[in-house]
Amino acid sequence: MKWATRAGVHIDRAACAWLIRRHLDAEAEFVFVDDPARVPPEATPFDMRGAELGHHGGDCSFETILRRYELSDPVLWRIAEIVHEADLDDERFDAPEAPGLDVILRGLSMTCADERVLELSGPLFDGMYEYYRRAFLLGRPPA
Amino acid sequence: MSGTAGQWVLLAYRIPRRPSTLRITIWRKLDRLGVARLGDGLVALPADARTREQLEWIAEEIGEVGGSATIWLASPGSTAQEQAVATGMRQARSAEYQAVIAQARAAASARPGERARVVKRLQAELRRIDRRDFFPPTERDAARHAVRELARRDTAVEASADSAEATEGTQR
Repeated sequence: MKWATRAGVHIDRAACAWLIRRHLDAEAEFVFVDDPARVPPEATPFDMRGAELGHHGGDCSFETILRRYELSDPVLWRIAEIVHEADLDDERFDAPEAPGLDVILRGLSMTCADERVLELSGPLFDGMYEYYRRAFLLGRPPA
Repeated sequence: MSGTAGQWVLLAYRIPRRPSTLRITIWRKLDRLGVARLGDGLVALPADARTREQLEWIAEEIGEVGGSATIWLASPGSTAQEQAVATGMRQARSAEYQAVIAQARAAASARPGERARVVKRLQAELRRIDRRDFFPPTERDAARHAVRELARRDTAVEASADSAEATEGTQR
């Protein structure tokens, strides 16, 4: 399937792309557009104004996708808290990881093209997922 | 920012009068971003990828609660106009930094545990102010210094308490 989002990807879009590829659509193909009007007709837009998969009711797009596709994995919801704070920084959650992740993604978006940012951030989110999965099983931070 | 007029992103909006909690929620969000209020239902921020996105999402949210909002990219008609807006923003941040300085000074004589809590709170407050500080006033450095100083005192007290314990230990 084709998925479209705004060019100049940052934390929320990078995390959404990872979520889509890992949990919704392994064959996902991403296009980046500057103008919502340029979204290809066959593509599903995300993290764009006017898109169903955008910010809603104080949620960031990552949280919206989790809700919309009924993904209830607590590990994904823990990552959602971090993405939410890195993106919105509204102190809804206690996520001390967020400012660091924000800097990493912001830096990547300065040095890399959007496709490359997704290539690089994918393994980062895989690692985060594994970390919080173990933390969840252990009930404490894993070694 | 230099003397030349830069790009600004504007949000023109209308929010239903009731319920008033909606208006307050949106106002709080705008305050948090440090917007300049240009008029009723018109706010501005210096344009960059982040500020534009922040205002776009707020515009979206205003639409969802039954209001209307549009986003504009604009440059001021004159640099004097821009400077007046920038000065207003700088003064708003200046007042916030001054509040931090006052709280840091007041906490200097607090008990060590209390002082540590104040340090944490003021560090978080400084980060918040910093993110909406587009035209840094001179008080910024003073505020950072005041919080650093308070943190330093606090660790100094802890260190001396630790060494006191260590001495006690060797005496035993």
